[in-house]
Amino acid sequence: MPLIFQYEYMQRALFVGLLLSVIVACLGTVMVHKRLSLIGDALSHSSLAGVALGLLLGFNPIVGAMAVCIVSALSIEAIRKKLGNHSELAVAIVMSTGIGLAGVLSGFVRSSADFNSFLFGSIVAISGFEARLVMILSVIVLLAFVLLYKELFYISFDEQAAAISGVPVGFVNAVFTILTAVTVSIAARTVGALIISSLLVVPVAAAMGIAKSYKTTVLWAIFVSTVSTVGGLTLSFYFGLKPGGTIVLLSVVFFLLFRVIGYLREKHSVKKGA
Amino acid sequence: MANVIEVENMSFGYTRDMILENVDFAVEEGDFAVIIGDNGVGKSTMVKLLLGAIRPTKGKISISGKPVTSLSGSGIGYLPQNGGNRAAAFPATCEEIVMSGLYKKIGFMRFPGKAHKEKADSALRSVGMLDKKKELIGNLSGGQQQRIMLARVLAGDPKILILDEPTVGVDAESVDRLLHILHHLNIEKKVTILMVTHDIEKVGPYANRVLCLSEGACREELLPDAQIVHAHTHSHPHGAEHIHCANCEHGSSHGHDAEHCAESSHCGDACGHEHKHDHGKEEK
Repeated sequence: MPLIFQYEYMQRALFVGLLLSVIVACLGTVMVHKRLSLIGDALSHSSLAGVALGLLLGFNPIVGAMAVCIVSALSIEAIRKKLGNHSELAVAIVMSTGIGLAGVLSGFVRSSADFNSFLFGSIVAISGFEARLVMILSVIVLLAFVLLYKELFYISFDEQAAAISGVPVGFVNAVFTILTAVTVSIAARTVGALIISSLLVVPVAAAMGIAKSYKTTVLWAIFVSTVSTVGGLTLSFYFGLKPGGTIVLLSVVFFLLFRVIGYLREKHSVKKGA
Repeated sequence: MANVIEVENMSFGYTRDMILENVDFAVEEGDFAVIIGDNGVGKSTMVKLLLGAIRPTKGKISISGKPVTSLSGSGIGYLPQNGGNRAAAFPATCEEIVMSGLYKKIGFMRFPGKAHKEKADSALRSVGMLDKKKELIGNLSGGQQQRIMLARVLAGDPKILILDEPTVGVDAESVDRLLHILHHLNIEKKVTILMVTHDIEKVGPYANRVLCLSEGACREELLPDAQIVHAHTHSHPHGAEHIHCANCEHGSSHGHDAEHCAESSHCGDACGHEHKHDHGKEEK
């Protein structure tokens, strides 16, 4: 058995990492195509305010992060609708509020080490409770993603046309928003608040370089996300690197690689056409 | 023919100033109606109101006899302005895009079956794009993308089709093709069409009604028979007769037609009313 599998904490890290990488890729695909790539940033930064609140008031920081994330995500949706043509400002407004709150509240937290563990995560130090939480969440997110695949596709493509066709846009958006908020808050504990936003976007951006349909975009995003996570954890184990950062950097390598492949493929097909 | 779209004494403004004021018109079943007017007179706002995306400040809008209260969809197919632009950046195949138009037939949280895929193929065939079904929509030309967007709408078998400037940014050949498809739908499948356009020169020959929006008004002047008899008529390029609006200030002193409206692009100063072509569509 390879050394990496001989440690229980690494087995748990790989298992949780794999589950998270799949659901984050699914949610990220919808997010990117709804032109809300930065929502992950806003939510993850806001989650830190919840973490600080939890540490300050003595309750589980993940619960605090989850509550603040859900409120932030719903606020983004509400503000987005009010701002019309400037709807992207909603993300910036919520992110600024989240950072401001986290900044002020973290000043009152006694153990800065606890708070910092949420900044960059500690996937190799997650508890059994957290692992079970991720498992339950993954089942719910995957089920929702599969069942609402058609609706999410339509809303991402053209929200107004989807509403005209009878898609319950408000309901589907609310489900998606809450699932994203919960995922981000839990992932903040594992891969880190500063890294989850990258994981939501980069694998999807990489997939778009070579995918030939929406469905294959989802599948390639899952592939990039899972390989980056397993690869990142393995590299970090053997070379003593920070797991979160290694995972993100690997996904960036995939992004570059897939863009080059996409470019070469396009060039080849143009030549063939000529 | 029964009215399928009715706008009664409707006013709307995003602020206190009304963009549309006391608008009255109706579109009959089987009509191919176009709305023209200057930039900023409220054509696209009118479309949003018809779709239920925004609510009138005053008055009533009904589609198929039911008041429009939300974007709920009452058998309406909608082709937005620059629909292809949005599609260009979306990594989906033409088939995937068209399948999304079958939402109502598939149902909430259900999966498409073989019949739905055949229906999508049929919609793609009807716009001459079946051979492109596995291609990414972003790889197609603007005109082809617009045809895919139309196929998506057609997949839902709409009884009423509302199009917001579908010819913008589309090459001349594709515009002709698009209009030919719409004409076929209107005549063969009896789909009622309401199109907002600036391109009245191209679209006019296919339409049997021209509604002119001007300074917020679009009063319908459905001419009673007696007036039609006295109305100035002249041959239509495609065989349809253009019946001159008797209330129009241009009056019958100079024969103006749909193309004239386009030339002035405002028809409105003078008429601001509806012009009705007396069908003869079968000759088109």
